[in-house]
Amino acid sequence: MRVEYINPFVEAAFSVLKEVLRIDIQRGELYLKSVSQPVLGVTAIVGLAGDVEGRVLFDMGESTAIKIASSMNGEEMVKFDELAKATITELANMITAQAVTKLHELGFEFDLTPPAIFTGDNMEVTDTGIEALIVPIEMEYGKIEINVAVREKN
Amino acid sequence: MKTKMDFPNINKRKPDGLQDTGKAFRVLIVDDSMFVTKQIEQILTSEGFDVAATAENGQDGLEKYKELYPNIDLVTMDITMPVMDGVTALEKIIEFDKEAKIIMISALGKQDLVKKSLLLGAKNYIVKPLDRKKVLERVLMTLKKQ
Repeated sequence: MRVEYINPFVEAAFSVLKEVLRIDIQRGELYLKSVSQPVLGVTAIVGLAGDVEGRVLFDMGESTAIKIASSMNGEEMVKFDELAKATITELANMITAQAVTKLHELGFEFDLTPPAIFTGDNMEVTDTGIEALIVPIEMEYGKIEINVAVREKN
Repeated sequence: MKTKMDFPNINKRKPDGLQDTGKAFRVLIVDDSMFVTKQIEQILTSEGFDVAATAENGQDGLEKYKELYPNIDLVTMDITMPVMDGVTALEKIIEFDKEAKIIMISALGKQDLVKKSLLLGAKNYIVKPLDRKKVLERVLMTLKKQ
């Protein structure tokens, strides 16, 4: 997978997270996974279809998701309820929309699916025929992994 | 000795959500995201606006608009929604009331749909992420437009 696909998502995640959370954010080392990999507990997934196809995951632990949702709603939340889910979905929406604008500017045309949220323990994701590039983003609320598996359509 | 302190009156400014008559502007929020609805509602009610109703999709928004009419001053309309999208709902509300003041709420990357909405009669738009300043600025600008 070409690295240029992931950069717009990482840049967008940085800019949106900084804008909505107003805290310090660090980028971890990019790594590649081509086999099944565990996911962290709360995962927003957005599908891409067009010149490039695949999916993007925004993956985080439940406590990180609750802290982010609390900060975005300006109130202490104690469980990952419907409002928290809507908040993380909207966060994924904002990041993806900004990334896609950058990719469209680079000449790629594709559509997005609305984000869906998965929650649970001991989950794994497997992408057949596409490797996933992962960029961890670290902040005081915990870690979010931006996990992108896309390919150019033949 | 007693001293008299002269504190400024911090409540002197009229909240932006009130009309000159003192009556609150009435707003309908149409958005399928509970988070965005809550965010807009908090921003507007903190300035004295009256959120008359909320709707989760364009169809529901259209029906609520008709129920509230003519006691409705402004609509915030998400673009991407299930059942009926925001652009279709905008078109139908304008058909019903050509004076309707509708602000489109858009994610980045929907420029074509925003342009289409403005051509169809939307009075303004706001690109997410939303913040208090951006929302109040656009809402007030739209309410002042004739």
